Amino acid sequence: MSQTYRATWAQCRAEMLRTIRNRRFVFFSILMPAAFFFIFTGTMDGGGMHNWAAYYLMSMTSYGVVGASLVTFSQRVSRERAQGWIRLLRMTPLPSGAYVLSKAAAQGAINIGLILVLFLTGGLSKSIDLPASVWIEAGLWIWAGGFAFMALGMLLGTMRNSDVVQVLATILYMSLSIVGGLWMPTSAMPQIMQTIAKFTPTYRMGQGPWALIGGQPVDWSGIGVLAVYMILFMVVSAYIMKKQEAV
Amino acid sequence: MKHEPAIQIDNVTKQFKDKKAVDRLSLTIEKGSVTALLGPNGAGKTTTVSMILGLMKPTSGTVKLLGGDPHDRAVRSRIGAMLQDTSVIDDLKVGETIDLFRSYYSRPLPLERLLAISGLGAERGKLAASLSGGQQRRLGFALAAAGDPEVLFLDEPTVGMDVTARALFWDTVRAMAGKGKTVLMTTHYLEEADQIADRAAVISQGRLIADGTPSSIKASATGRSISFTAGESLTRDMLLVVPGVADIDWKGSRVRLYSTDTDRLIGVLLERKMPMRDIEIQSGGLEEAFQNLLKKAQ
Repeated sequence: MSQTYRATWAQCRAEMLRTIRNRRFVFFSILMPAAFFFIFTGTMDGGGMHNWAAYYLMSMTSYGVVGASLVTFSQRVSRERAQGWIRLLRMTPLPSGAYVLSKAAAQGAINIGLILVLFLTGGLSKSIDLPASVWIEAGLWIWAGGFAFMALGMLLGTMRNSDVVQVLATILYMSLSIVGGLWMPTSAMPQIMQTIAKFTPTYRMGQGPWALIGGQPVDWSGIGVLAVYMILFMVVSAYIMKKQEAV
Repeated sequence: MKHEPAIQIDNVTKQFKDKKAVDRLSLTIEKGSVTALLGPNGAGKTTTVSMILGLMKPTSGTVKLLGGDPHDRAVRSRIGAMLQDTSVIDDLKVGETIDLFRSYYSRPLPLERLLAISGLGAERGKLAASLSGGQQRRLGFALAAAGDPEVLFLDEPTVGMDVTARALFWDTVRAMAGKGKTVLMTTHYLEEADQIADRAAVISQGRLIADGTPSSIKASATGRSISFTAGESLTRDMLLVVPGVADIDWKGSRVRLYSTDTDRLIGVLLERKMPMRDIEIQSGGLEEAFQNLLKKAQ
């Protein structure tokens, strides 16, 4: 058993290294959300929203985590499939569960770092003053939500054509972020859009942190919706992978 | 237990939608042997290897690897494979990639040794994706050898390697074979098989058409021949008893004799004063011999 543990840990470390070395990850998940944060908090006041900078920091951190979990993750899975890596791994004693687990664990660890970097950058530069408990709870909420997007990324990654995956993932990323209110608060949207937003996992990702910084009661059903999404994506991608393997 | 074969393929067929890739193939590979699966592109070599490795399911028939199921982790920890169409993992360095694979096995070979046998010592700190095609194949070999496997699969291993790399590669494989490892490789070069394998199984259109030592295959499929116009008194029976004649091809009055040693055969023929005119000796290369063999099978 210690062998499996050792292999999973090595796999985890390798995945983390690969993510950090990936320029696309650095751009989409750190630079872009940070730039958006400074632009939108510098030029707008969120319609006089109380604590706008904190609100938008939560939106952008969610945006970064969604990007990391969806765009870079899906493309990597797809490329590994297309380039025969998954086939090669299937002949090693590494259990296939360990492969998926270490991918998710590595991305989870990366997401923690990502949240910390964005919280620190935004919080310090705009002197955002929130109780420690709010920082921690908001961060945990976004982190947990990241797993739903990893599952979606895994699902997209089952497609072999990584160019198609990249385009699809980027479209999904942008549209979900806009519709879910990560770019602009849903309160600034027409009623119909606000209703639609409630069905998106991106809205649910921001919902908890937004409520926390607004001092409102937290609606835990948001996490429930994210969990349902995650299970749905996992079941579908597991089904597709099983079908692909049975040749 | 001791005499259990490394690989046992029993009456295996693999049917794809439009094509039968492997057709009732049976093959037993003993432990410690170096076997080459020979055949032209599309003969079913890779499909056969994929089924042995459990990457594909046979439509019918059974495959046993080390007496068990290739999906079994205990079996997988004792094998290593170098597959075709496998690129390198991106954003990892050569040394990191090898170390990653080493971590999958309980008794891996040391990193230094793997770098040495793949000739990648100087590339250790380079990103694997920046390697040339031949270097990537060598990295693939290091990964296949990482777990010090008992059975090593090499699917068209030397494609893209230069002459020096090939020489090092075959030296290493020979050394591994010398330590009692079982090697199964596929190639469409008879010459490679001849240099390294102690057995060659020739596959064409999914069927086994020849099986034996590479030299016996060469002999049976040799491209060397003596042709001549037969005198009227010459009969087929007269030629059949001449030692060294592998096969006779008679077209009109033109006769072609196949032989492994045409030099000696011509001597014998002249000595026996066979009635023949316009004598020519053709010596096809190994590849030609191989092509002849394939043609014969069809």
